[in-house]
Amino acid sequence: MSPPPPPSQWVEELNSPPVSRSKLTIPDPPGYTAASSGNKKQIASSKTQTPARTAPTTEEMDTLKLKKAWEVALAPVKQLPMTAIMMYMSGNSLQMFSIMMVVMAFKNPLMGLMATNQAFEKFNSPGTSASLLAVKATYVAMQILALALGVWKVNGMGLLPTTQSDWLAWETARDPMEIAIPAF
Amino acid sequence: MRLPINLLFLTLSILPSTLAVFVDEAYIVDYHHELLGLSQPHTSFFHRPRKNEKASLLYTLSDLGVLGAVNPGLGKVVWRQLLAGDDAVSEPGFLRPIEGEDAVVSAIGSRVDAWDAMSGRATWGNVFEGVVKDLEVMETAAGSEGAKAVLALFDEGKPVLRKLKGGSGDVAWEYAGVSGDIALQVSTNVQNVFLVSTYYGSKAGFTLRVTILDPVTGKKSSEYTLSTKGEIESLEDVVFVGANSAAPIIAWADQGYKNLRVNVLGKSGAIQSLPLTESDGKLTEVTVHAPHLVQSQAHFLVHSRSALSNRADVYHVDLANGSVKKAYELPKVPGRGSISISSQDANVYFTRLSDDEVAVYSSVSHGVLGRWPLNFEAQRGSFVHSTTEVVQKGTDTYAVRSAVVTTEQDWVLIRNGAEAWARPEGLSGAVAAAFADLPESESLVKNLEVEAESNALSAYIHRVNRHVADLQYLPNYLQDLPRRFLSSILPGEIIAQKAGVLVPDSFGFNKVVIVATQRGRLYGLDAGNHGSIVWSWTAFPQENGKKWDVKGIFVESSKGLATIRAADGEYTVVKTTTGERIETMPPGSGPTIRSTAIVDSPSGKWMLTIGVNGNPEDVPSERVPKGHLVVKGDAGEVKGLKFMPRGSQSSPVITWTFTPPTDQVITNVVSRPAHDPVASIGRVLGDRTVLYKYLNPNVVLVTAISNEKSTATFYLLDTISGDILYSATHEGVDTKQPIASALTENWFSYSLWADIISTSATLPSSKGYQIIVSEMYESDVANDRGPLESTANSSSLEPSDIPNAELALPHVITASFLVPEAISHMSVSATRQGITTRQLLCTLESSGAIIGIPRTILDPRRPVGRDPTPAEQEEGIFRYHPVIEFDPKMLITHKREVIGIKDIIASPAVLESTSLIFAYGIDIFGTRVAPSAAFDILGKGFNKLSLVGTVAALWAGVVILAPMVRRKQINGRWMTS
Repeated sequence: MSPPPPPSQWVEELNSPPVSRSKLTIPDPPGYTAASSGNKKQIASSKTQTPARTAPTTEEMDTLKLKKAWEVALAPVKQLPMTAIMMYMSGNSLQMFSIMMVVMAFKNPLMGLMATNQAFEKFNSPGTSASLLAVKATYVAMQILALALGVWKVNGMGLLPTTQSDWLAWETARDPMEIAIPAF
Repeated sequence: MRLPINLLFLTLSILPSTLAVFVDEAYIVDYHHELLGLSQPHTSFFHRPRKNEKASLLYTLSDLGVLGAVNPGLGKVVWRQLLAGDDAVSEPGFLRPIEGEDAVVSAIGSRVDAWDAMSGRATWGNVFEGVVKDLEVMETAAGSEGAKAVLALFDEGKPVLRKLKGGSGDVAWEYAGVSGDIALQVSTNVQNVFLVSTYYGSKAGFTLRVTILDPVTGKKSSEYTLSTKGEIESLEDVVFVGANSAAPIIAWADQGYKNLRVNVLGKSGAIQSLPLTESDGKLTEVTVHAPHLVQSQAHFLVHSRSALSNRADVYHVDLANGSVKKAYELPKVPGRGSISISSQDANVYFTRLSDDEVAVYSSVSHGVLGRWPLNFEAQRGSFVHSTTEVVQKGTDTYAVRSAVVTTEQDWVLIRNGAEAWARPEGLSGAVAAAFADLPESESLVKNLEVEAESNALSAYIHRVNRHVADLQYLPNYLQDLPRRFLSSILPGEIIAQKAGVLVPDSFGFNKVVIVATQRGRLYGLDAGNHGSIVWSWTAFPQENGKKWDVKGIFVESSKGLATIRAADGEYTVVKTTTGERIETMPPGSGPTIRSTAIVDSPSGKWMLTIGVNGNPEDVPSERVPKGHLVVKGDAGEVKGLKFMPRGSQSSPVITWTFTPPTDQVITNVVSRPAHDPVASIGRVLGDRTVLYKYLNPNVVLVTAISNEKSTATFYLLDTISGDILYSATHEGVDTKQPIASALTENWFSYSLWADIISTSATLPSSKGYQIIVSEMYESDVANDRGPLESTANSSSLEPSDIPNAELALPHVITASFLVPEAISHMSVSATRQGITTRQLLCTLESSGAIIGIPRTILDPRRPVGRDPTPAEQEEGIFRYHPVIEFDPKMLITHKREVIGIKDIIASPAVLESTSLIFAYGIDIFGTRVAPSAAFDILGKGFNKLSLVGTVAALWAGVVILAPMVRRKQINGRWMTS
């Protein structure tokens, strides 16, 4: 019996892999990243190594919510110039477009006003509730401003009973206390 | 699956080809009685308008001074001329044909005119002094050339006879008779002209003077007198003085109609007595008929009428010695009868109309040439007089047609005994009219009341019974259904309304118009059915020349009664729908009255009469009128009256009197109409502010003219306090021209002729007819109700709490416009609630039309000298233009010529948009106007047929398509699975 042949080189190389790169002083060539050969452990460790985004504090959250709330509150007023221009352009005559404009000009603010609390519900927290009042007030004011624009438009269309002629039908002629019958 | 293209085409083809054409309602909603007036016996004749024309026309000059030619076949007016001016003539007119020429000659008042017989155009005319008493065409000797001359006799304090040249009307010669004589008649035979005049001697009564003149030179050749021995008491007693004939005669009857005295003109002193035979009692009327042609035989007929019957004698004149001898007599027949004469060359025919036949006699012998049974409606009354044309058709056959005036004042043409046409000439010369609503059917209301009051079971039984009883109307209803359906669908009024049925309609167009005429007749016209005559009767027959002076018509719609009061105290109460007389009091049964007023009292509405001095009588306290009265006084002043209790009676007390300055005379006073509702008390301006209207119901507009200064002044008076609210004076006014005025709502208008001379301070000069419109407002500032502000009541006596405060005066805005012609009368349309704008209705006498001028044109707020601002444009006012052209589209009479319109009355319909208009005078005209367009009724342009067709086509489409679709759906489900 002859002794077993020496293991082939590939077996040796397999059993004794080359020394880890980290143990060498030779730096990696530029542009080379070790990730391709990196083991899972290394990656896992690198992940756990970056806990930079810690959960925000409640104060921070409140500030943020307030900011958002302000944005919501001021949203109606941002549309106003556009609406005003369109209303001005659509004219004061009674026609499909201007009637739709007027309906929208009344519907949106009114719906907004009715949904004031819902609009700010998500921003509500014990910390913000106090300062949210001012925001809501602003929101209401802005909606009323939008409503005023609608009223201005309706007035421009002559639909508001603001003049004496609108009340003429309710005025009556004076009752004469004496009557004279002509007999010619 | 295809669309049914055919169906689509069918639907489209139903639609009218043109939708843009405005369908006018002219001649459909309006009606016109084109009248002449009652034809007069001596001025009516048949005459050929052209010498070689076969057909003749029927000419007449009526009692109203209307000259007209009527087509005898159809009864339609060919042409008319109104000869009488404003002062309707009391003198009769004269009309003669010029035989052998294409002309007729008329004389009325002081003028003589010749007219083309065919077209009615004037060929010549001439005006003289004095009044025409007679007119004759001068027959010339055969063979002479030139147009026939005309002899006209005038009364100028003495008889003046003028010969007018034919063709020009110039005077050829003139003969003045003895001063003081009364002109009677002119006659001519070929050789001589006879002027008959009369003078009054205290002992011998009237003496007739016959002057014989030379026809060529006009020189007097001889003269003789005829003593009537007192047999003529007045000029009306001269029965007949003959016209142009071979032997003209003069005839009069003695007292009591015993004898007829006849003188053949030219035979001096030979008065022949012809005995008059009585028939069934005393004679009441004797007429003489003699031919008017020179070539006709000298025969004449004496027609004697008694109350029950009539008879006639025919006499022949012997031309040689002038003796008159009786030829034959026509036997007595019952009834009034009528005899007329017609001549054809030498032949003279007498046509006798009796109650049951028409007979034609020759003047030569008593043989009847033709006889026809008379088919004549009894409701037309008996004959008054007739005009006849006899045509010889063969040797023995004759045709005869007579135009007859009946006692019911119809003008009827009887052709060979049968009635061809009838013209309601009695309707002419209307003096008053009023609208009357048709009384609603009250039975349903009563039934419903009964059912409401009784208990449930009996009410149920009552209702079932009522419905069963209503079943009797079902066949009629079903019969009527197709007509109603068609009439609502088909365009126009193809399906005629049932005549003679007065049914109130839902639109309120069906009303009765009660018309009173100057001859004392009453008519009921159906305004909803083209003004057809529903009923008529003679209420108070008037003597010749006298006009019935109706002072007021009071309609009680709830009772369906109308009271007509006239000046002499007579009155009658009639049912508006049937004309049935309820009560009649003859003249003199009450005091003479100046005017009437409908007043409200605790015991209901009644008609108060105002005496001639301008004061009403005392009235019992339960009939005291609520409120004051405004009357015209004796001297033309305007007075305010109030009733003061005095015991059980109340007597009038004058509260104020308005007298204009001494040089001015009040000519007219107008007040706001009795029905004058105002929908809006203010006027909205462009900027939505309000000008408040001055709405005082107690105002009158007084017109006062000054002839010396040529001014017209208009005063607006408050009728409670008598204060002048506003006045305006116009200078350079022709006071002889018509001045018309109207007052309504918060505005008034008047028209006049003015010649304004320019000065530096005033307006630029203008000359012509003007219409001036003024609006009254409470304040000149918008949104201001004036000093009274918003107080609920107003009093003219105590305007405010401050003692002796002055009346709030209106702010008046005025504009004047030039109009092309004179406006003789003004009126305003009336609607139910006054929402519709009012239309000013003006009578244009010279063009024979009525114009409806819209308020927008007559707006005094129209900007002068500049274009309107956008706000003003929004208000609907446009730039002022001083001239208003009378656009023919504004004429509510369209191309119809209405003459002699005295007044226009307006009445509201149930539809707010519509006002019923009725104009009366010589003609009768009625229409409906919609001043703001007919906004509440579908117009004639609305095609109901296409609407129904479309709906039917859609329905048919659905019916056809539905099964197809269903099958397709079912098939689809089965075949895919």
